[in-house]
Amino acid sequence: MDWELFWVSLWPIVRGGLVGTIPLSIASFAIGLVIALLVALARISGIRVLSGIARFYVSVIRGTPLLVQLFVIFYWLPSLGLLIDPWPSAVIAFSLNVGGYAAEVIRAAILSVPKGQWEAGHTIGMSRTTTLRRIILPQAARVSVPPLSNTFISLVKDTSLASLILVTELFREAQKIAAFSQEFVMIYMEAALVYWVFSLVLSTAQSRIEKRLDRYVAH
Amino acid sequence: MRKKLLSTVGAAAIAVSLAACSAGASDAPDAGAEASDGLTLAEVQESGELVVGTEGTYRPFSYHEGGSGALTGYDIEVVTAVAEKLGVEVTFEETQWDAIFAGLQSGRFDIIANQVSINDEREAAYTMSDPYTVSPGVLIVADSNTEIASFDDLSGFSSAQSLTSNWYEVAVGYGATVEAVEGWAQAAELLTQGRVDATVNDELTFLDFEKTEGDTGLKIVDETDDASLNAFALPKGSDDLAAAINEALAELRADGTLAAISESYFGSDVSE
Repeated sequence: MDWELFWVSLWPIVRGGLVGTIPLSIASFAIGLVIALLVALARISGIRVLSGIARFYVSVIRGTPLLVQLFVIFYWLPSLGLLIDPWPSAVIAFSLNVGGYAAEVIRAAILSVPKGQWEAGHTIGMSRTTTLRRIILPQAARVSVPPLSNTFISLVKDTSLASLILVTELFREAQKIAAFSQEFVMIYMEAALVYWVFSLVLSTAQSRIEKRLDRYVAH
Repeated sequence: MRKKLLSTVGAAAIAVSLAACSAGASDAPDAGAEASDGLTLAEVQESGELVVGTEGTYRPFSYHEGGSGALTGYDIEVVTAVAEKLGVEVTFEETQWDAIFAGLQSGRFDIIANQVSINDEREAAYTMSDPYTVSPGVLIVADSNTEIASFDDLSGFSSAQSLTSNWYEVAVGYGATVEAVEGWAQAAELLTQGRVDATVNDELTFLDFEKTEGDTGLKIVDETDDASLNAFALPKGSDDLAAAINEALAELRADGTLAAISESYFGSDVSE
């Protein structure tokens, strides 16, 4: 192990994570969740056209490689006259990707809330929308935190593909240093370590959110 | 020449097949993209900048000083000098080798400066400038290897190559079993560890490697007859811009700039 190189390269890699990986992940995840909720609601809406479109979207996103999704948005859309900058392209691709996966999580979470809860809402005169917002979604949110955290942690590492569309993030910084020093194994392990530390922080956040959402449950 | 696969092997296969798809599409006469119309000098001068696609991880041609410092290297200096002659600023966009041609075709860059070797496929798909690097391919094996003394001995042995490099085809042509790698560094690693028997790459890459590593435990046993000619790649049909770039290269050659840049990186003139 070349410890000097390790310490010298640590900050550039962490910085790549702070200015690239983290903002990219957070923005994509936030937008992805909105997409996912809409898609999940479309799927359980009972309106055939809506649920059909939602089903098709989920199928395409889950059935094709993320790399291709990135390439389509960044390298193919320009041929239709749509030239999107690297960062927005990355956010679009990752959001759509998260949307596809998280939609299924959210759908399952909503369906896991007992039917009686809907009926209870109806009985006390709540509209379907109000019941969904006030009764169903809070319970579904609690159920979906662990699987959504999985999706998020996967996303953090998937953003390493963004270097293919000119976005500089954690892994790209590591590649630059590895290519310069020819120390591929060590530098990539170092990058993995930084990803891992980021994931540990995220897992801590996950358990806090879980605890907070537990207040909806009667023990 | 060249080089390099993605960090993930699976992703690499997809990128390669995608690159193949998009190359096919642009060959079609009715490919509707503006990107295939080619660039003119006037367009570049109007925008005031030459947008250059490069890897930024390919030493000594295109890399970051100290790993995370400024972008530099032989190709970077040559293309910067060329842009100066054209009277425009130079802007670098960094991406991995397998995305570089997709970037050129979709108009993300005006030019690729990354030791792109001239071959028939590329000449059909892109406009290539005059070469600014001339380098033979070499067959590299471990010092202790006595079985492989020339390309003719390669049959039945394994060779580490990146799938999009033209050295891949050289290795396959001599009957080697190819192990896919990301680039030179991995190939050298596999060779040192004895996990493959050989690798084919250009001489400059190996010379640079020896210069930085000292005793590498590897040796050159054979050299290709034809030297690889490396040039800038431009979108197909950019004849006007290519002519201007060639003129700039000729001037830089005549006034000794190319030789000087080359000397500073390789200790010899590799520009012709």
